[in-house]
Amino acid sequence: MLKYLMFQLIILIIILLLSDGLAKPAYAYLDPGTGSYIFQVLIAFMLGGIFAIKLFWRQILLFFKNLFSKTQKKSEHES
Amino acid sequence: MSDSIAAQKLSASFKDPDGFLFKSNNILYRQINTSYKDNYDCLISSGLYENLAQNNLLISHDEEQIPSFNPEILYKIIRPEIINFISYPYEWCFSQLKDAALLTLKIQKESLGKGMSLKDCSAFNVQFKNGKPIFIDSLSFEKYKKGQPWVAYRQFCQHFLAPLALMSYTDVRLNSLFKQFIDGVPLDLAAKLLPFKARFNFSLLTHIYLHADAQKHFSIKSKKQSNSQVSDFSLLGIIDSLESSIKSLKLKTNRSHWTDYYSETNYSPEAFKQKKKVVTRYLEKSNSKMIWDLGANTGVFSEIASQDKREVVSFEVDPIVVEKNYNDCKKDKKENILPLLMDLTNPSSAIGFQSNERLSLIERGPADTALALALIHHLAISNNLPFDRIAQFLSEICDTLIIEFIPKTDSQVQRLLQSRKDIFINYNQNTFEKEFKKFFTVGNTQQISESQRILYLMHKK
Repeated sequence: MLKYLMFQLIILIIILLLSDGLAKPAYAYLDPGTGSYIFQVLIAFMLGGIFAIKLFWRQILLFFKNLFSKTQKKSEHES
Repeated sequence: MSDSIAAQKLSASFKDPDGFLFKSNNILYRQINTSYKDNYDCLISSGLYENLAQNNLLISHDEEQIPSFNPEILYKIIRPEIINFISYPYEWCFSQLKDAALLTLKIQKESLGKGMSLKDCSAFNVQFKNGKPIFIDSLSFEKYKKGQPWVAYRQFCQHFLAPLALMSYTDVRLNSLFKQFIDGVPLDLAAKLLPFKARFNFSLLTHIYLHADAQKHFSIKSKKQSNSQVSDFSLLGIIDSLESSIKSLKLKTNRSHWTDYYSETNYSPEAFKQKKKVVTRYLEKSNSKMIWDLGANTGVFSEIASQDKREVVSFEVDPIVVEKNYNDCKKDKKENILPLLMDLTNPSSAIGFQSNERLSLIERGPADTALALALIHHLAISNNLPFDRIAQFLSEICDTLIIEFIPKTDSQVQRLLQSRKDIFINYNQNTFEKEFKKFFTVGNTQQISESQRILYLMHKK
């Protein structure tokens, strides 16, 4: 999963660096909605993955926080 | 309904095929059309409306039985709660726009939890009520179809992320782009205006730079959308990414000279105390509900005006000062003060289709009372505005005026004249009174002790 996310990220950065169209004015007549729609589909998996890692990481932090507070309470109780 | 009543349809909601706002007997209503029936029913039956309204995230409403404009398409008529003063994103400071963005994302998350999604998340759908942002468009919700991407993603990026990134990375004054781009800042323009270092912010790289690039790329290349699916979890990932991005944006505040204004005034502590007393007395006499504090600075007199449950709109030209005023109001829970950005020498004009989608400042008045304290010299001397035009403008925006005249001999006026030729032969008390008496009757005058300044209480003729 992480490997795939990194791959997506690298591809995105390569697209960005190689792109000559970036920030070139679109002016009028073009519908930006279609591009936004497709772009969202393209980034969805990657951002979903990052979100999953974030939630997982929070759980780990919470686990250690709880563990630490339990140990502290125990030692306070014993003393 | 007759044509005369049809003329009271409000121009702010004409684009929505699912309903519109109208006024009848000066009461604001929203018609919900049959095309929105399923979505409205889902909003109510899912408990989403109750949840959002109870938490002051969405404007509450009552269903009413009154005659309709278009009975053939009528489903329901609702009477939304009233917002005392309608403001627009180009009048908000950085933190106001940021709070509005976070509110919108919070509503989107709540909606997804109840099987709905925001189909429209324009910044113009957010207003300020009791010091907090609130979503005002009850017709912006639609049933969420599994696998469908967020249809308002582009609008969110253009209305919130791009202007906030520009205000944070480039210049705080760039929310004024909203005046030109009523559907939010185009992403290719934002990408062009942001400094190079903004590309190293992963969220901005994704949601602005690559997004802008994709818009351009796919606008000329066709791609089938039918198989494009986004899982519920991925959708939450996109929203979380936007939320983290918005939260991480900070305003680099260079201290504005206006934030030090009160410590730099030429008032002695005694004179300033007297000025506060006189303003309080005048406010009590005026018996007002809505007060506009013009050139409010950090809001010292707005706070005085807000006593006795008066509503105050605190206008100031400097975005950093408005930022300070807003954050102070939030911290101290001064809920009936609304700080806004406004250049009185170029007040917000009516904009949008037919120049009437968004109202001008004058159209949103008149206020019961306007405070114009330590303001006249900035208008007349710094901006060359003659007294008669200032008096005319003020008579258009208020019924009662509390105004301070500052003579040319005052050190603050002398400071303004230091770097320019004194061409202001008419800047004197006699001309001031003569011109203002064309539009107002003078109720009271009071010289401030230990100063040369005079406070007037005037009533519109």
